Amino acid sequence: MKALGGAEAADSTHPPPRVYKPEMPRGWWLRQRHYFLYIIREFTALPMALWLLWLLYEIQRASNGPKGYYPPSSPAFIVFSIIVLAFALYHTYTFLSLAGVIIHIKGVPSRLIVLSQFAAWLVASAVIAAVLIGFAR
Amino acid sequence: MNHDGHAKNSRTAYTHLLWWFLFAQGGVIAAILVPIHVLVQGILGPLGIVRVVDRHYDTWIRIVGNPIVKLYLLVLIAVPFFHFAHRLRYLLVDLGVPAARSVPAQVIFYGGAVVITAVTIWVLLTTVPISFG
Repeated sequence: MKALGGAEAADSTHPPPRVYKPEMPRGWWLRQRHYFLYIIREFTALPMALWLLWLLYEIQRASNGPKGYYPPSSPAFIVFSIIVLAFALYHTYTFLSLAGVIIHIKGVPSRLIVLSQFAAWLVASAVIAAVLIGFAR
Repeated sequence: MNHDGHAKNSRTAYTHLLWWFLFAQGGVIAAILVPIHVLVQGILGPLGIVRVVDRHYDTWIRIVGNPIVKLYLLVLIAVPFFHFAHRLRYLLVDLGVPAARSVPAQVIFYGGAVVITAVTIWVLLTTVPISFG
């Protein structure tokens, strides 16, 4: 703290310190594959958010009564879902792979932790699919 | 953020902890739960490959009326938005929008997640009455 104060006092006789401003050229993320994949990984949030908002709307539509309710069937919706699924799977892959970096358990190799995450994903997916399909008619 | 005293620095940052917890949990929930919903409800159901609960009004309201399903839907829809808010805010920073770092931007993004949580609760409570049938 004292050293800092001294530096500040010394600054009064010098021009103010230059502030470092990192310059990111437009389209920097298109220059390297890793940058591109990083941006895609962060972007996955947007399509998933849109799809979940659609799901909320689908739930809300149930209040229209049996005559006002019709299930989504348009090709546009299916294409939208296919695009969302690709991004969602990329989020799953990148996020569950990270578990090996975040979670540390003594004596358990990180590869096993990642594997357990993917196993949990498969089990959860099977249960959800069973409910969504099993309670249908 | 606070550099003016030891007493303030040593205090546990509970709000920080809460936001990070929501960010992490939102990421996990989106990773583990979202793809199968998109596949079944967004692709297989509309294509008619499998029968899905949301294809008929009666099966859809029966499942949406279940209180456990309502709680599940709240977690599935609302919590990921705390993850999305953080990621999209920093995506804007990375793409050259430094204003996304500002406090107003934080209020918009994280406040947006709070608003979506409130709307989700409202929709779940008002759409189909809770029933155990």
